[in-house]
Amino acid sequence: MTHIITRRDFLRKTGAAALIATAGVPLFANQALEKKSKVILIRHRNIVDKNGKVDQKIFEQMLDEAMVKLFETKTPEAAWKQIIKPTDIVGIKSNMWEYLPTPAEVENTLKSRLRAAGVQEANISIDDQGVLRNPIFLKATALINARPMRAHHWAGVSGCLKNYIMFTPEPSDLHPDSCVDLGSLYKLPIVKGKTRLNVLLMLTPQFNCLGPHHFDKEFVWQYKGLLVGTDPVALDAVGLKIIEAKRRQYFKEDLPIRPAPKHIAAAEQKHGVGVADMNKIELIKLGWKDGVLI
Amino acid sequence: MTTLFLFLSFIMASSDMTNQTALQKFIPPSIDCWKASDSSRLYTGEEIFDYMDGAGEIYRSYNFQQLIVQRYACPDQEEILVEIFDMGSARNAFGVYTYMQGRGTRVNIGQDGEYKMGLLCFWKDKYFVCIRIEKENQQASKAVFDLGKVIARAIPTEGKRPDILKHLPVNKYDVKSLRYFYRYEMLNIHFYIADGNILLLNDSTEGVLVRLKDDKSYFLLDGYPDKEQTDSAYDSFLTHYMPDSKGEGIVKTENKKWTACVKEKNYILIIFDAPTKEQAMISLDTFKRRLP
Repeated sequence: MTHIITRRDFLRKTGAAALIATAGVPLFANQALEKKSKVILIRHRNIVDKNGKVDQKIFEQMLDEAMVKLFETKTPEAAWKQIIKPTDIVGIKSNMWEYLPTPAEVENTLKSRLRAAGVQEANISIDDQGVLRNPIFLKATALINARPMRAHHWAGVSGCLKNYIMFTPEPSDLHPDSCVDLGSLYKLPIVKGKTRLNVLLMLTPQFNCLGPHHFDKEFVWQYKGLLVGTDPVALDAVGLKIIEAKRRQYFKEDLPIRPAPKHIAAAEQKHGVGVADMNKIELIKLGWKDGVLI
Repeated sequence: MTTLFLFLSFIMASSDMTNQTALQKFIPPSIDCWKASDSSRLYTGEEIFDYMDGAGEIYRSYNFQQLIVQRYACPDQEEILVEIFDMGSARNAFGVYTYMQGRGTRVNIGQDGEYKMGLLCFWKDKYFVCIRIEKENQQASKAVFDLGKVIARAIPTEGKRPDILKHLPVNKYDVKSLRYFYRYEMLNIHFYIADGNILLLNDSTEGVLVRLKDDKSYFLLDGYPDKEQTDSAYDSFLTHYMPDSKGEGIVKTENKKWTACVKEKNYILIIFDAPTKEQAMISLDTFKRRLP
């Protein structure tokens, strides 16, 4: 038997809480001298109404503020210019899951910011399941990844990493071992090096699910936040921490997510497409503080 | 050649039809005001991923054979979705059921029927059944229960529970926490141990995991076909999981809790995350005394 990584290795390295996030993944990559991944968490008390409908104006303000902070610019326009050229062909990868889709207000805002950065209307497309048939995505020079975070029956959680599963013609190839290799999606030629921005929506996340395609309002709460960054792994890692904290609050005990969402740590340790270790993430919190959970 | 191809196509189509019919016979055409809204769909093998994406992996890990899906509609009411999984054997059906269980209250439908928020699940014989509505209301919930009863009655025989369950003292653990498995990949879904098969589990072994009521620790019981395999698995676990126990089989782990392991006849018993060394030993002793 080759070297075995056990539950104890995870406890030793990261503590009990992180075990679930890192199960099954080598943990011993060199951490020295690495630049931290920056993640912006921004929240607003009124971003969604009681029915979960997004206020577009407030969303625009939140995204603009996050962009300025993320790219350390004076204006949001300057921030967008750091990541997008007018000649870019841009695919906005959204998510159409019927119960918790990427809201139209989010898609519209992203598109309008791309237009403001000089990208031609004809060179922007928003898609989910049709990306491999979409001519804009097929010739895209830049991608924006935007979707809500939720508990997932097989991957543990579904966030930025899982959102790219439609970029492979054989999604089932990534299903083994609770989708542990989702990070490999970011190395596909159609994706590699193209993702300029990730927006993980924590507006009304789902923190528990009872089975495939399960949605229930009991397991959804109005967190009213966005995670914004260039590192999809770091966004998923922070999103997972928030989901875990909500589960502790709701279930009144440390009830692990099943199956363990190990694909997040694997994306760092095995595939090297981002940072999952919270010690290597610079989390900047903006806006509304009540119930921030992290 | 053409004749042979047509003959094989006919045989394969007949086989599919036979299988569909076998599962179809459990599904009524209507219940209350709900009527089957379209033809049932049959999924076999890898096709399960077409239906439920990566979530199909759990069923595949328990040797999933076939799934039939039927939707029911009633004017101005919730759609009802019925899924019947043919798992090939009662132990697989029970294993998949234990993956799903613990989320709702018990109902007297099928074997171990459980209901929560519009989702009814049970197992019977080699079948695992889920019936769901997205939003509960009194009429739709009643229809879910009625459908469950009809389907459960249509499955003629009950499945045999795994024998290993007999060795668990029911009052000591949370019944809803029980998970049944026989391969390490299944165990890791329930409770991650290691990225290799350090307990040497295989199709001829079986295991059960429960969470104890008193101290919230986890108890794992693995049964092996003979003493030789038990000894090998015990040595492997001690070597890989607790080399620092120096063969004693008990260690304080990095989360400041205790893990203890013993072997008894053809069984390995392990406690994870006991609050004290004494508690770990007491729990192991309690379970050991239940063994045949």
